[in-house]
Amino acid sequence: MSSLTKIPAGVQYFFDEEVKLRRHVERRAMEIFAGWSYDEIILPMFDYHDLFARGMGDEKAERTYRFVDRDGALLALRPELTSLVARTVATRFKRKPRPVRLCYSGEVFRYDEPTERAAREFYQLGVEHIGQPDIVADIEVLLVAAEVLSSLGLRGFRIALSHVDFFNGVADFLTLDAGRRAELRELIDRRNSLALDRFLQAHAAQIEPARRAGFSRLIQLAGKEDAIQRAREILLNQRSREAIDHLARIYATLTELGLAENFDIDLGDTGGLEYYTGLTFKVYVPHWGVEIGGGGRYDNLIGNFGEAEPAVGFSFALDGLVGAVARNASPPPELGANGAPPVSCEGDLANAFRQARGLREQEKRVKIRVQQ
Amino acid sequence: MSSNKLTIALSKGRMQEDALAMFARAGIVVDESELNSRKLIIDSRDGQYSFVLVKPGDVPTYVEYGVADAGICGHDVLLESCAGVHEPLDLKFGRCRIAVAARREVVGKPYNLLATVRVATKYPRIATQYFHAKGVPIEVINLSGSVELAPLLGLSDRIVDLVETGRTLKENGLEVIEEITESTARLIVNRASFHLKRDAVRALISQLTEILEKE
Repeated sequence: MSSLTKIPAGVQYFFDEEVKLRRHVERRAMEIFAGWSYDEIILPMFDYHDLFARGMGDEKAERTYRFVDRDGALLALRPELTSLVARTVATRFKRKPRPVRLCYSGEVFRYDEPTERAAREFYQLGVEHIGQPDIVADIEVLLVAAEVLSSLGLRGFRIALSHVDFFNGVADFLTLDAGRRAELRELIDRRNSLALDRFLQAHAAQIEPARRAGFSRLIQLAGKEDAIQRAREILLNQRSREAIDHLARIYATLTELGLAENFDIDLGDTGGLEYYTGLTFKVYVPHWGVEIGGGGRYDNLIGNFGEAEPAVGFSFALDGLVGAVARNASPPPELGANGAPPVSCEGDLANAFRQARGLREQEKRVKIRVQQ
Repeated sequence: MSSNKLTIALSKGRMQEDALAMFARAGIVVDESELNSRKLIIDSRDGQYSFVLVKPGDVPTYVEYGVADAGICGHDVLLESCAGVHEPLDLKFGRCRIAVAARREVVGKPYNLLATVRVATKYPRIATQYFHAKGVPIEVINLSGSVELAPLLGLSDRIVDLVETGRTLKENGLEVIEEITESTARLIVNRASFHLKRDAVRALISQLTEILEKE
Protein backbone atom coordinates (compact mmCIF):
# COMPACT_ATOMS: atom_id res chain seq x y z
CA MET A 1 0.00 0.00 0.00
CA SER A 2 1.17 3.48 -0.75
CA SER A 3 2.59 5.33 2.21
CA LEU A 4 0.94 8.43 0.74
CA THR A 5 -2.55 7.21 1.54
CA LYS A 6 -1.99 4.86 4.44
CA ILE A 7 -2.13 6.26 7.96
CA PRO A 8 -0.84 4.29 10.98
CA ALA A 9 -3.62 2.81 13.12
CA GLY A 10 -4.89 5.09 15.85
CA VAL A 11 -3.45 8.43 14.78
CA GLN A 12 -5.50 11.33 13.48
CA TYR A 13 -5.31 14.42 11.31
CA PHE A 14 -7.54 17.38 12.10
CA PHE A 15 -8.45 20.25 9.84
CA ASP A 16 -11.03 22.93 8.99
CA GLU A 17 -13.79 23.58 11.51
CA GLU A 18 -12.73 20.73 13.76
CA VAL A 19 -9.39 22.37 14.45
CA LYS A 20 -11.13 25.58 15.44
CA LEU A 21 -13.46 23.68 17.72
CA ARG A 22 -10.61 21.73 19.33
CA ARG A 23 -8.58 24.86 19.95
CA HIS A 24 -11.61 26.64 21.33
CA VAL A 25 -12.35 23.84 23.79
CA GLU A 26 -8.72 23.60 24.83
CA ARG A 27 -8.44 27.37 25.33
CA ARG A 28 -11.63 27.49 27.35
CA ALA A 29 -10.51 24.67 29.64
CA MET A 30 -7.05 26.15 30.15
CA GLU A 31 -8.58 29.56 30.95
CA ILE A 32 -10.72 27.94 33.60
CA PHE A 33 -7.76 26.07 35.08
CA ALA A 34 -5.87 29.36 35.21
CA GLY A 35 -8.91 31.00 36.76
CA TRP A 36 -8.61 28.58 39.70
CA SER A 37 -4.89 29.38 40.00
CA TYR A 38 -3.51 26.32 38.26
CA ASP A 39 -0.23 27.15 36.52
CA GLU A 40 0.45 25.49 33.21
CA ILE A 41 3.34 23.06 33.01
CA ILE A 42 4.79 22.01 29.65
CA LEU A 43 6.14 18.48 29.70
CA PRO A 44 8.47 16.53 27.42
CA MET A 45 7.00 14.28 24.74
CA PHE A 46 9.16 11.35 25.86
CA ASP A 47 11.11 10.35 28.92
CA TYR A 48 12.73 7.24 30.38
CA HIS A 49 10.49 4.21 30.29
CA ASP A 50 11.48 3.53 33.88
CA LEU A 51 9.86 6.78 34.99
CA PHE A 52 6.45 5.72 33.68
CA ALA A 53 6.86 2.23 35.11
CA ARG A 54 7.63 3.78 38.49
CA GLY A 55 4.60 6.07 38.23
CA MET A 56 1.89 3.89 36.75
CA GLY A 57 3.18 0.39 37.36
CA ASP A 58 4.82 -2.06 34.98
CA GLU A 59 1.60 -3.23 33.43
CA LYS A 60 0.55 0.18 32.20
CA ALA A 61 4.06 1.09 31.15
CA GLU A 62 3.93 -2.01 28.95
CA ARG A 63 1.49 -0.17 26.72
CA THR A 64 3.92 2.55 25.78
CA TYR A 65 5.66 3.11 22.47
CA ARG A 66 9.29 2.49 23.31
CA PHE A 67 12.55 3.26 21.64
CA VAL A 68 16.21 3.37 22.51
CA ASP A 69 18.28 6.46 23.22
CA ARG A 70 21.70 6.91 21.65
CA ASP A 71 23.30 5.65 24.88
CA GLY A 72 21.10 2.56 24.92
CA ALA A 73 18.67 3.72 27.60
CA LEU A 74 15.04 2.75 27.07
CA LEU A 75 12.75 5.70 26.34
CA ALA A 76 8.98 5.86 25.98
CA LEU A 77 6.56 8.28 24.37
CA ARG A 78 4.59 9.64 27.30
CA PRO A 79 1.55 7.41 27.97
CA GLU A 80 0.16 9.87 30.54
CA LEU A 81 1.17 13.16 32.06
CA THR A 82 0.64 12.68 35.78
CA SER A 83 3.88 10.73 36.34
CA LEU A 84 5.85 13.53 34.67
CA VAL A 85 4.13 16.10 36.88
CA ALA A 86 4.64 13.97 40.00
CA ARG A 87 8.36 13.55 39.35
CA THR A 88 8.76 17.27 38.73
CA VAL A 89 6.95 18.19 41.92
CA ALA A 90 8.89 15.65 43.99
CA THR A 91 12.25 16.90 42.73
CA ARG A 92 12.25 20.40 41.26
CA PHE A 93 9.34 21.80 43.31
CA LYS A 94 10.63 20.56 46.66
CA ARG A 95 10.94 24.02 48.16
CA LYS A 96 7.79 25.58 46.73
CA PRO A 97 4.97 26.26 49.17
CA ARG A 98 2.11 23.77 49.20
CA PRO A 99 -0.35 23.16 47.76
CA VAL A 100 1.07 23.16 44.25
CA ARG A 101 -1.56 23.62 41.54
CA LEU A 102 -0.57 22.62 38.02
CA CYS A 103 -2.42 22.12 34.76
CA TYR A 104 -1.42 20.71 31.40
CA SER A 105 -2.65 20.04 27.91
CA GLY A 106 -1.04 17.70 25.43
CA GLU A 107 -0.90 14.40 23.58
CA VAL A 108 -0.25 11.06 25.19
CA PHE A 109 0.47 7.84 23.34
CA ARG A 110 -0.75 4.42 24.36
CA TYR A 111 -1.08 1.10 22.70
CA ASP A 112 -4.29 -0.27 24.17
CA GLU A 113 -5.06 -3.86 23.43
CA PRO A 114 -7.32 -5.43 22.48
CA THR A 115 -9.47 -2.90 20.65
CA GLU A 116 -7.86 -2.48 17.25
CA ARG A 117 -10.15 0.41 16.47
CA ALA A 118 -9.01 2.37 19.50
CA ALA A 119 -6.99 5.52 19.21
CA ARG A 120 -3.29 5.36 20.04
CA GLU A 121 -2.89 9.08 20.41
CA PHE A 122 -4.96 11.02 22.89
CA TYR A 123 -5.03 14.67 23.76
CA GLN A 124 -5.53 15.29 27.46
CA LEU A 125 -6.34 18.36 29.51
CA GLY A 126 -5.99 18.15 33.23
CA VAL A 127 -5.02 19.48 36.62
CA GLU A 128 -3.04 18.15 39.57
CA HIS A 129 -3.49 19.57 43.07
CA ILE A 130 -0.58 18.48 45.24
CA GLY A 131 0.23 18.76 48.93
CA GLN A 132 -3.20 19.06 50.49
CA PRO A 133 -4.69 15.91 51.99
CA ASP A 134 -8.20 17.01 52.79
CA ILE A 135 -11.68 17.29 51.41
CA VAL A 136 -11.11 20.92 50.43
CA ALA A 137 -8.81 19.90 47.59
CA ASP A 138 -11.19 17.10 46.53
CA ILE A 139 -14.09 19.51 46.23
CA GLU A 140 -11.96 22.13 44.52
CA VAL A 141 -10.99 19.86 41.63
CA LEU A 142 -14.58 18.66 41.24
CA LEU A 143 -15.72 22.25 40.89
CA VAL A 144 -13.01 23.01 38.35
CA ALA A 145 -14.11 20.02 36.26
CA ALA A 146 -17.76 21.04 36.54
CA GLU A 147 -16.98 24.60 35.47
CA VAL A 148 -15.20 23.40 32.34
CA LEU A 149 -18.23 21.31 31.38
CA SER A 150 -20.82 23.97 32.01
CA SER A 151 -18.79 26.73 30.39
CA LEU A 152 -18.65 24.62 27.23
CA GLY A 153 -22.45 24.49 27.23
CA LEU A 154 -22.61 20.82 28.20
CA ARG A 155 -25.71 20.98 30.32
CA GLY A 156 -26.83 17.57 31.51
CA PHE A 157 -23.32 16.34 32.30
CA ARG A 158 -22.99 13.87 35.14
CA ILE A 159 -20.00 13.35 37.39
CA ALA A 160 -20.19 10.01 39.18
CA LEU A 161 -18.34 9.94 42.51
CA SER A 162 -16.92 6.89 44.21
CA HIS A 163 -14.29 6.08 46.81
CA VAL A 164 -11.80 3.21 46.56
CA ASP A 165 -12.05 2.41 50.26
CA PHE A 166 -15.65 1.43 49.91
CA PHE A 167 -14.67 -1.57 47.81
CA ASN A 168 -11.40 -2.12 49.70
CA GLY A 169 -13.29 -2.09 52.99
CA VAL A 170 -15.74 -4.69 51.73
CA ALA A 171 -12.92 -6.87 50.40
CA ASP A 172 -11.04 -6.56 53.73
CA PHE A 173 -14.13 -7.53 55.63
CA LEU A 174 -14.68 -10.60 53.48
CA THR A 175 -10.97 -11.54 53.80
CA LEU A 176 -10.79 -12.56 50.16
CA ASP A 177 -7.60 -13.71 48.49
CA ALA A 178 -6.33 -11.87 45.41
CA GLY A 179 -8.15 -14.10 42.92
CA ARG A 180 -11.52 -13.84 44.67
CA ARG A 181 -11.01 -10.13 45.10
CA ALA A 182 -10.57 -9.76 41.34
CA GLU A 183 -13.68 -11.86 40.78
CA LEU A 184 -15.69 -9.69 43.18
CA ARG A 185 -14.47 -6.60 41.43
CA GLU A 186 -15.49 -7.91 38.04
CA LEU A 187 -18.98 -8.80 39.24
CA ILE A 188 -19.37 -5.32 40.65
CA ASP A 189 -18.13 -3.72 37.45
CA ARG A 190 -20.65 -5.74 35.44
CA ARG A 191 -23.35 -4.53 37.87
CA ASN A 192 -24.63 -8.05 38.06
CA SER A 193 -26.56 -8.10 41.33
CA LEU A 194 -27.81 -11.67 41.09
CA ALA A 195 -24.35 -13.09 40.40
CA LEU A 196 -22.86 -10.93 43.13
CA ASP A 197 -25.40 -12.21 45.62
CA ARG A 198 -24.53 -15.80 44.68
CA PHE A 199 -20.83 -15.00 45.03
CA LEU A 200 -21.36 -13.54 48.49
CA GLN A 201 -23.48 -16.49 49.52
CA ALA A 202 -20.63 -18.80 48.61
CA HIS A 203 -17.71 -16.79 49.93
CA ALA A 204 -19.13 -14.65 52.67
CA ALA A 205 -21.54 -16.82 54.55
CA GLN A 206 -20.88 -14.76 57.68
CA ILE A 207 -22.90 -11.81 56.37
CA GLU A 208 -26.58 -11.86 57.22
CA PRO A 209 -28.83 -12.25 54.14
CA ALA A 210 -30.52 -8.84 54.37
CA ARG A 211 -27.20 -7.04 54.39
CA ARG A 212 -25.88 -9.22 51.61
CA ALA A 213 -28.88 -8.48 49.42
CA GLY A 214 -28.53 -4.80 50.23
CA PHE A 215 -24.96 -4.78 49.07
CA SER A 216 -25.82 -6.68 45.90
CA ARG A 217 -28.53 -4.18 45.04
CA LEU A 218 -26.38 -1.21 45.89
CA ILE A 219 -23.92 -1.75 43.06
CA GLN A 220 -26.72 -1.57 40.52
CA LEU A 221 -28.06 1.67 41.87
CA ALA A 222 -26.08 4.80 41.40
CA GLY A 223 -27.95 7.65 42.99
CA LYS A 224 -27.93 10.72 45.17
CA GLU A 225 -28.35 10.88 48.97
CA ASP A 226 -30.41 7.72 48.67
CA ALA A 227 -27.27 5.86 47.55
CA ILE A 228 -25.36 7.13 50.58
CA GLN A 229 -28.25 6.16 52.82
CA ARG A 230 -28.43 2.65 51.36
CA ALA A 231 -24.69 2.26 51.74
CA ARG A 232 -24.87 3.22 55.43
CA GLU A 233 -27.42 0.51 56.04
CA ILE A 234 -25.09 -2.24 54.89
CA LEU A 235 -21.71 -0.87 55.97
CA LEU A 236 -19.38 -3.58 57.01
CA ASN A 237 -16.37 -1.98 58.64
CA GLN A 238 -14.52 1.17 59.56
CA ARG A 239 -12.75 1.54 56.23
CA SER A 240 -15.97 1.49 54.21
CA ARG A 241 -17.67 3.74 56.74
CA GLU A 242 -14.98 6.39 56.48
CA ALA A 243 -15.22 6.26 52.68
CA ILE A 244 -18.96 6.86 52.82
CA ASP A 245 -18.59 9.67 55.37
CA HIS A 246 -16.12 11.36 53.07
CA LEU A 247 -18.42 11.06 50.05
CA ALA A 248 -21.37 12.24 52.11
CA ARG A 249 -19.53 15.40 53.16
CA ILE A 250 -18.50 16.13 49.58
CA TYR A 251 -22.01 15.52 48.37
CA ALA A 252 -23.53 17.74 51.04
CA THR A 253 -21.28 20.62 49.98
CA LEU A 254 -22.10 20.11 46.31
CA THR A 255 -25.79 20.14 47.22
CA GLU A 256 -25.38 23.40 49.15
CA LEU A 257 -23.77 24.87 46.06
CA GLY A 258 -26.80 23.86 43.98
CA LEU A 259 -24.83 21.28 41.98
CA ALA A 260 -26.48 18.07 43.15
CA GLU A 261 -28.18 17.57 39.79
CA ASN A 262 -24.82 17.12 38.07
CA PHE A 263 -23.30 14.72 40.60
CA ASP A 264 -24.06 11.07 41.39
CA ILE A 265 -22.82 8.66 43.98
CA ASP A 266 -21.82 5.43 42.28
CA LEU A 267 -20.40 2.83 44.65
CA GLY A 268 -20.28 0.25 41.89
CA ASP A 269 -17.34 1.99 40.25
CA THR A 270 -14.21 -0.02 40.95
CA GLY A 271 -11.93 1.51 38.34
CA GLY A 272 -8.37 2.55 39.16
CA LEU A 273 -8.13 0.67 42.46
CA GLU A 274 -4.40 0.09 41.98
CA TYR A 275 -3.73 3.76 41.60
CA TYR A 276 -6.25 5.84 43.48
CA THR A 277 -6.37 6.09 47.27
CA GLY A 278 -9.57 7.99 48.01
CA LEU A 279 -12.19 9.85 46.02
CA THR A 280 -12.54 8.79 42.37
CA PHE A 281 -14.85 10.18 39.72
CA LYS A 282 -15.88 9.78 36.11
CA VAL A 283 -17.49 12.30 33.81
CA TYR A 284 -20.32 11.51 31.40
CA VAL A 285 -22.26 13.68 28.95
CA PRO A 286 -25.37 12.92 26.88
CA HIS A 287 -24.86 11.46 23.39
CA TRP A 288 -21.29 10.40 24.10
CA GLY A 289 -21.26 6.76 25.11
CA VAL A 290 -18.01 6.68 27.04
CA GLU A 291 -16.64 8.70 29.92
CA ILE A 292 -14.99 11.89 28.73
CA GLY A 293 -12.84 12.36 31.78
CA GLY A 294 -12.14 11.31 35.29
CA GLY A 295 -9.82 11.55 38.21
CA GLY A 296 -9.38 11.13 41.90
CA ARG A 297 -7.03 11.17 44.84
CA TYR A 298 -3.69 9.41 44.48
CA ASP A 299 -1.74 9.88 47.68
CA ASN A 300 0.80 7.14 46.90
CA LEU A 301 2.13 8.28 43.54
CA ILE A 302 4.46 11.11 44.46
CA GLY A 303 6.22 8.93 47.03
CA ASN A 304 7.51 6.88 44.09
CA PHE A 305 9.63 9.86 43.10
CA GLY A 306 10.67 11.28 46.48
CA GLU A 307 8.90 12.26 49.63
CA ALA A 308 5.28 11.07 49.76
CA GLU A 309 2.67 13.79 49.34
CA PRO A 310 -1.09 13.77 49.01
CA ALA A 311 -2.48 14.69 45.60
CA VAL A 312 -5.73 14.85 43.69
CA GLY A 313 -6.35 15.57 40.03
CA PHE A 314 -8.31 14.79 36.90
CA SER A 315 -8.02 14.85 33.16
CA PHE A 316 -10.40 15.27 30.28
CA ALA A 317 -10.01 13.55 26.94
CA LEU A 318 -10.09 16.39 24.41
CA ASP A 319 -11.67 14.06 21.82
CA GLY A 320 -14.51 13.40 24.24
CA LEU A 321 -15.01 17.04 25.15
CA VAL A 322 -14.98 18.11 21.51
CA GLY A 323 -17.29 15.29 20.45
CA ALA A 324 -19.68 16.14 23.25
CA VAL A 325 -19.66 19.85 22.39
CA ALA A 326 -20.25 19.04 18.71
CA ARG A 327 -23.28 16.92 19.62
CA ASN A 328 -24.73 18.77 22.56
CA ALA A 329 -23.90 22.45 22.53
CA SER A 330 -24.48 25.16 19.98
CA PRO A 331 -21.17 26.17 18.40
CA PRO A 332 -19.59 29.26 19.93
CA PRO A 333 -20.15 32.35 17.75
CA GLU A 334 -16.50 33.01 16.95
CA LEU A 335 -16.28 29.58 15.30
CA GLY A 336 -19.13 30.26 12.90
CA ALA A 337 -17.97 33.48 11.23
CA ASN A 338 -14.38 33.39 12.48
CA GLY A 339 -14.24 37.19 12.62
CA ALA A 340 -14.61 39.51 9.65
CA PRO A 341 -14.10 38.19 6.11
CA PRO A 342 -10.57 38.82 4.81
CA VAL A 343 -9.67 41.86 2.69
CA SER A 344 -8.41 40.83 -0.71
CA CYS A 345 -5.11 42.41 -1.71
CA GLU A 346 -4.79 42.37 -5.48
CA GLY A 347 -3.07 44.12 -8.35
CA ASP A 348 0.61 44.96 -8.75
CA LEU A 349 2.99 42.72 -6.73
CA ALA A 350 4.56 45.40 -4.53
CA ASN A 351 1.34 47.38 -4.14
CA ALA A 352 -0.67 44.36 -3.11
CA PHE A 353 1.84 43.41 -0.44
CA ARG A 354 2.17 47.02 0.70
CA GLN A 355 -1.60 47.18 1.13
CA ALA A 356 -1.56 43.87 2.98
CA ARG A 357 1.18 45.00 5.36
CA GLY A 358 -0.74 48.17 6.11
CA LEU A 359 -3.87 46.21 6.92
CA ARG A 360 -1.87 43.76 9.05
CA GLU A 361 -0.55 46.66 11.10
CA GLN A 362 -4.18 47.29 11.98
CA GLU A 363 -4.51 43.55 12.72
CA LYS A 364 -6.99 43.14 9.84
CA ARG A 365 -7.39 39.79 8.14
CA VAL A 366 -5.93 39.76 4.63
CA LYS A 367 -5.77 37.34 1.73
CA ILE A 368 -3.25 37.77 -1.08
CA ARG A 369 -4.69 37.33 -4.57
CA VAL A 370 -1.87 38.50 -6.82
CA GLN A 371 -1.68 36.63 -10.11
CA GLN A 372 1.68 36.43 -11.88
CA MET B 1 -31.10 16.65 29.77
CA SER B 2 -31.53 13.67 27.52
CA SER B 3 -34.90 11.99 27.27
CA ASN B 4 -35.69 8.92 29.28
CA LYS B 5 -36.60 6.80 26.29
CA LEU B 6 -34.26 3.83 26.04
CA THR B 7 -32.83 2.46 22.82
CA ILE B 8 -32.14 -1.27 22.99
CA ALA B 9 -30.08 -3.22 20.48
CA LEU B 10 -31.26 -6.79 19.82
CA SER B 11 -29.53 -9.64 18.02
CA LYS B 12 -31.53 -10.47 14.91
CA GLY B 13 -32.86 -14.00 14.69
CA ARG B 14 -33.83 -16.39 17.44
CA MET B 15 -32.43 -14.37 20.26
CA GLN B 16 -34.54 -11.43 19.12
CA GLU B 17 -37.71 -13.52 19.43
CA ASP B 18 -36.78 -14.79 22.89
CA ALA B 19 -35.83 -11.30 23.99
CA LEU B 20 -39.04 -9.71 22.74
CA ALA B 21 -41.03 -12.49 24.40
CA MET B 22 -39.32 -11.67 27.67
CA PHE B 23 -39.97 -7.97 27.24
CA ALA B 24 -43.62 -8.75 26.53
CA ARG B 25 -43.84 -10.67 29.81
CA ALA B 26 -42.40 -7.57 31.48
CA GLY B 27 -45.18 -5.50 29.90
CA ILE B 28 -43.02 -3.99 27.18
CA VAL B 29 -44.94 -4.87 24.07
CA VAL B 30 -44.03 -4.45 20.42
CA ASP B 31 -46.94 -4.61 17.99
CA GLU B 32 -46.98 -7.42 15.47
CA SER B 33 -47.38 -4.94 12.62
CA GLU B 34 -44.11 -3.24 13.62
CA LEU B 35 -42.34 -6.59 13.77
CA ASN B 36 -43.59 -7.64 10.37
CA SER B 37 -42.48 -4.40 8.79
CA ARG B 38 -39.01 -4.08 7.38
CA LYS B 39 -38.08 -1.31 9.76
CA LEU B 40 -34.74 -1.63 11.50
CA ILE B 41 -35.84 0.59 14.37
CA ILE B 42 -39.15 -0.29 16.01
CA ASP B 43 -40.90 1.27 18.97
CA SER B 44 -42.66 -0.38 21.86
CA ARG B 45 -46.38 0.25 22.11
CA ASP B 46 -45.96 2.65 25.03
CA GLY B 47 -43.25 4.58 23.19
CA GLN B 48 -40.80 4.17 26.09
CA TYR B 49 -38.43 1.86 24.22
CA SER B 50 -37.04 1.70 20.75
CA PHE B 51 -35.48 -1.49 19.53
CA VAL B 52 -32.77 -1.64 16.90
CA LEU B 53 -32.28 -4.96 15.19
CA VAL B 54 -28.67 -5.70 14.33
CA LYS B 55 -26.36 -8.62 13.64
CA PRO B 56 -25.51 -10.45 16.88
CA GLY B 57 -21.84 -9.55 16.79
CA ASP B 58 -22.68 -5.87 16.45
CA VAL B 59 -24.80 -5.54 19.59
CA PRO B 60 -21.85 -4.80 21.94
CA THR B 61 -20.56 -2.17 19.50
CA TYR B 62 -23.85 -0.28 19.42
CA VAL B 63 -24.00 -0.33 23.19
CA GLU B 64 -20.35 0.49 23.82
CA TYR B 65 -20.61 3.58 21.64
CA GLY B 66 -23.83 4.57 23.36
CA VAL B 67 -26.03 4.78 20.26
CA ALA B 68 -28.03 2.08 22.02
CA ASP B 69 -28.42 2.50 25.79
CA ALA B 70 -28.76 -1.23 26.33
CA GLY B 71 -28.68 -4.44 24.39
CA ILE B 72 -29.28 -8.16 24.53
CA CYS B 73 -26.71 -10.56 23.13
CA GLY B 74 -25.02 -13.83 23.94
CA HIS B 75 -22.19 -14.08 26.44
CA ASP B 76 -20.10 -15.58 23.63
CA VAL B 77 -20.41 -12.38 21.63
CA LEU B 78 -19.40 -10.32 24.67
CA LEU B 79 -16.32 -12.44 25.30
CA GLU B 80 -15.27 -12.05 21.71
CA SER B 81 -15.87 -8.31 21.56
CA CYS B 82 -14.30 -7.24 24.88
CA ALA B 83 -16.65 -4.25 24.81
CA GLY B 84 -16.52 -1.96 27.83
CA VAL B 85 -20.14 -2.28 28.92
CA HIS B 86 -22.01 -3.19 32.09
CA GLU B 87 -23.56 -6.62 32.12
CA PRO B 88 -26.16 -6.50 34.87
CA LEU B 89 -28.34 -9.52 34.04
CA ASP B 90 -28.03 -13.08 32.88
CA LEU B 91 -31.35 -13.58 31.09
CA LYS B 92 -30.97 -17.39 31.07
CA PHE B 93 -32.31 -18.00 27.56
CA GLY B 94 -30.30 -18.79 24.43
CA ARG B 95 -28.21 -21.31 26.33
CA CYS B 96 -25.37 -22.89 24.39
CA ARG B 97 -21.70 -23.81 24.78
CA ILE B 98 -18.54 -22.63 23.15
CA ALA B 99 -16.48 -25.71 22.64
CA VAL B 100 -13.41 -27.12 20.98
CA ALA B 101 -14.23 -29.88 18.54
CA ALA B 102 -12.34 -32.13 16.14
CA ARG B 103 -12.87 -35.08 13.82
CA ARG B 104 -13.86 -38.11 15.82
CA GLU B 105 -10.86 -40.13 14.65
CA VAL B 106 -8.29 -37.65 15.95
CA VAL B 107 -9.82 -36.99 19.36
CA GLY B 108 -7.28 -37.87 22.01
CA LYS B 109 -4.41 -37.82 19.55
CA PRO B 110 -1.78 -35.10 19.22
CA TYR B 111 -2.95 -32.13 17.19
CA ASN B 112 -0.69 -32.84 14.25
CA LEU B 113 2.99 -33.44 13.53
CA LEU B 114 3.75 -29.75 13.72
CA ALA B 115 3.98 -27.58 16.79
CA THR B 116 1.29 -25.16 15.73
CA VAL B 117 -2.36 -26.16 15.86
CA ARG B 118 -4.65 -24.80 13.20
CA VAL B 119 -7.95 -23.68 14.65
CA ALA B 120 -10.87 -22.58 12.50
CA THR B 121 -13.39 -20.35 14.26
CA LYS B 122 -15.73 -17.40 14.28
CA TYR B 123 -14.25 -16.54 17.67
CA PRO B 124 -10.57 -15.71 17.09
CA ARG B 125 -10.12 -13.96 20.42
CA ILE B 126 -11.75 -16.66 22.54
CA ALA B 127 -9.84 -19.37 20.67
CA THR B 128 -6.49 -17.62 21.02
CA GLN B 129 -6.98 -16.94 24.71
CA TYR B 130 -8.05 -20.48 25.40
CA PHE B 131 -5.16 -22.20 23.63
CA HIS B 132 -2.58 -19.71 24.83
CA ALA B 133 -3.70 -20.25 28.41
CA LYS B 134 -2.84 -23.92 27.85
CA GLY B 135 0.48 -23.02 26.29
CA VAL B 136 -0.49 -24.33 22.87
CA PRO B 137 0.63 -22.19 19.91
CA ILE B 138 -2.13 -21.86 17.33
CA GLU B 139 -2.78 -20.45 13.92
CA VAL B 140 -6.27 -19.02 13.84
CA ILE B 141 -8.24 -19.44 10.66
CA ASN B 142 -11.01 -16.91 10.68
CA LEU B 143 -14.24 -18.16 9.13
CA SER B 144 -17.63 -16.50 9.12
CA GLY B 145 -19.81 -19.61 8.88
CA SER B 146 -19.96 -23.39 8.37
CA VAL B 147 -16.94 -23.75 10.60
CA GLU B 148 -17.59 -27.54 10.84
CA LEU B 149 -16.39 -27.84 7.30
CA ALA B 150 -12.82 -26.84 8.11
CA PRO B 151 -11.60 -30.08 9.76
CA LEU B 152 -13.46 -32.21 7.22
CA LEU B 153 -11.55 -30.66 4.36
CA GLY B 154 -8.29 -30.55 6.27
CA LEU B 155 -8.28 -26.79 6.62
CA SER B 156 -7.86 -27.05 10.39
CA ASP B 157 -7.06 -29.52 13.18
CA ARG B 158 -9.62 -28.12 15.57
CA ILE B 159 -12.60 -25.81 15.57
CA VAL B 160 -13.86 -23.48 18.28
CA ASP B 161 -17.55 -22.95 17.80
CA LEU B 162 -20.96 -22.55 19.35
CA VAL B 163 -22.65 -25.83 20.18
CA GLU B 164 -26.37 -25.92 20.92
CA THR B 165 -27.53 -29.52 20.56
CA GLY B 166 -24.37 -30.96 19.02
CA ARG B 167 -26.32 -32.41 16.11
CA THR B 168 -24.47 -30.57 13.36
CA LEU B 169 -21.19 -31.74 14.83
CA LYS B 170 -22.34 -35.34 15.06
CA GLU B 171 -23.72 -35.51 11.56
CA ASN B 172 -20.39 -34.28 10.27
CA GLY B 173 -18.32 -36.77 12.22
CA LEU B 174 -17.06 -34.23 14.73
CA GLU B 175 -16.89 -34.50 18.48
CA VAL B 176 -16.63 -31.99 21.32
CA ILE B 177 -13.27 -32.27 23.05
CA GLU B 178 -13.62 -29.61 25.64
CA GLU B 179 -16.11 -26.98 26.66
CA ILE B 180 -14.57 -23.52 26.90
CA THR B 181 -17.51 -21.76 28.44
CA GLU B 182 -21.25 -21.75 28.59
CA SER B 183 -23.16 -18.88 27.06
CA THR B 184 -26.57 -17.38 27.71
CA ALA B 185 -28.25 -14.15 26.70
CA ARG B 186 -27.15 -11.11 28.70
CA LEU B 187 -28.54 -7.65 29.23
CA ILE B 188 -25.78 -5.13 28.63
CA VAL B 189 -25.88 -1.43 29.43
CA ASN B 190 -23.83 1.49 28.16
CA ARG B 191 -21.64 3.00 30.88
CA ALA B 192 -22.75 6.57 30.24
CA SER B 193 -26.45 5.71 29.92
CA PHE B 194 -26.18 3.92 33.25
CA HIS B 195 -25.74 7.38 34.78
CA LEU B 196 -27.44 9.72 32.35
CA LYS B 197 -30.66 7.70 32.03
CA ARG B 198 -30.47 6.19 35.47
CA ASP B 199 -34.17 5.98 36.23
CA ALA B 200 -35.08 4.32 32.95
CA VAL B 201 -32.18 1.85 33.18
CA ARG B 202 -33.06 1.05 36.76
CA ALA B 203 -36.69 0.43 35.79
CA LEU B 204 -35.67 -1.88 32.96
CA ILE B 205 -33.32 -3.92 35.16
CA SER B 206 -35.87 -4.32 37.90
CA GLN B 207 -38.67 -5.28 35.49
CA LEU B 208 -36.50 -7.98 33.93
CA THR B 209 -35.22 -9.12 37.32
CA GLU B 210 -38.79 -9.64 38.42
CA ILE B 211 -39.48 -11.85 35.41
CA LEU B 212 -36.30 -13.84 36.04
CA GLU B 213 -37.20 -14.39 39.67
CA LYS B 214 -40.67 -15.62 38.71
CA GLU B 215 -39.34 -18.19 36.27
